[in-house]
Amino acid sequence: MNLDFSGVIPSIPFILEGIKVTLAIVSMSILLGFVLGSILAVFKISDIKVLTFFASAYTSIFRGTPLILQLMIIYYGLPQTFGIDISEFPAAILALGLNSAAYVSEIIRAGIQAVDKGQSEAAIALGVPKRLMLLDIIFPQAIRNILPALINEFTSLTKESAIVTVIGASDVMRRAYMVGSDTYLYMESLMIAGVFYYVLVSLLSFAGKKLEVKLQG
Amino acid sequence: MIQINNLSKSFKNNTVLKDISLKINQGEVVALIGPSGSGKSTLLRHVNGLETPSNGQVQVDGVNIFESDKNLQDIRSSVGMVFQHFNLFPHMNVLQNVSYAPIKVRKLSKELAEKKALELIEKVGLSDHIKKNPAQLSGGQKQRVAIARALAMEPKIMLFDEPTSALDPEMVKEVLDVIKSLAHTGVTMLIVTHEMNFAKEVADRIIFLEEGILLEDSNPVEFFNNPKTDRAKEFLAKIL
Repeated sequence: MNLDFSGVIPSIPFILEGIKVTLAIVSMSILLGFVLGSILAVFKISDIKVLTFFASAYTSIFRGTPLILQLMIIYYGLPQTFGIDISEFPAAILALGLNSAAYVSEIIRAGIQAVDKGQSEAAIALGVPKRLMLLDIIFPQAIRNILPALINEFTSLTKESAIVTVIGASDVMRRAYMVGSDTYLYMESLMIAGVFYYVLVSLLSFAGKKLEVKLQG
Repeated sequence: MIQINNLSKSFKNNTVLKDISLKINQGEVVALIGPSGSGKSTLLRHVNGLETPSNGQVQVDGVNIFESDKNLQDIRSSVGMVFQHFNLFPHMNVLQNVSYAPIKVRKLSKELAEKKALELIEKVGLSDHIKKNPAQLSGGQKQRVAIARALAMEPKIMLFDEPTSALDPEMVKEVLDVIKSLAHTGVTMLIVTHEMNFAKEVADRIIFLEEGILLEDSNPVEFFNNPKTDRAKEFLAKIL
């Protein structure tokens, strides 16, 4: 075995510069995924057939095709077909966010529907309107099921964000690869990227566990 | 006050209620009895629209409750319901459980709603437990909170769906005592129950259902001493 970290040490600041890009992409996709996913979840539990159909079709398509395909359609396919120019940063956020929304909507829907049916019946019997029932009775109980699964989803989004490297977004992954090809020290530079992802994901999981304990208490 | 006309209910291919017609007067206490699966609870759940009829009508004070969403909403705030499994809101304490709907649905001020809630909680004997969460209460205590919660809406009609079936035997009495104290105070009561002695003691009328058919509708003395149908005789022979 022959590892030479001294060769990549000068490039570490360059790789770490990508943290900003990775964190920006991850946090904005999480935000997009959460907002859109919440809206889709409301569609799924609504009584309006068109909305339920739209939301389940959306989920089915985004969960049934590879993320990297969705990313490439947005980055290469859309400009070709519609003539709109989209740069790598928004394309990455759009792909990850739209994809995550499908999973988030399922997590929220399942969390809401896992609340005992007796709870909504009791609220209905008291004459509580549907909007208040969701807000005051169902949602506070659903959040216990939803939050841990959401943290999980966002942890995996953090890892998957590394695929934006294929459209040339200069995130940690991309920069590690560039350093590797510059110095021929692939193993060393990729390991630095690996450590970064591992620490980031561990921090997220740790926060998730804390939150879970707090919710159970 | 409650008028049920030719009510039928099917779930897919399973007919649960067959052509039920029934009139219940204001202030009456009616016990619905019959074997499991006879449709008692389903019938009860039509009175506040938790079930929608496949056929027929339910009128409360002359208003067809299934005619519009507004009618349903109006009726629900004047019909209280007590469930077999209590269905208290687990994330709210006793006081919040009882005062929530008066504040949010009847739009009472928090002070007034809590004042009334405290009176009701005292009435069901739980004044020492107002800040507790449902998880800290026994089954009997939970059901008494659930009764107070329903009463807080000042209902004209109270529906009890097997209110003691999920309780440990030693807690049945405390709940039945509370229900008894409400009988003949002007509120119309429909009670689905398997407690025959209780039905005999508290009800003005017994309605006996089997396989979705209303077989008997009579006063308790007549029903328990001299049932008209063979089905009712068999049923009573098994459980008394």
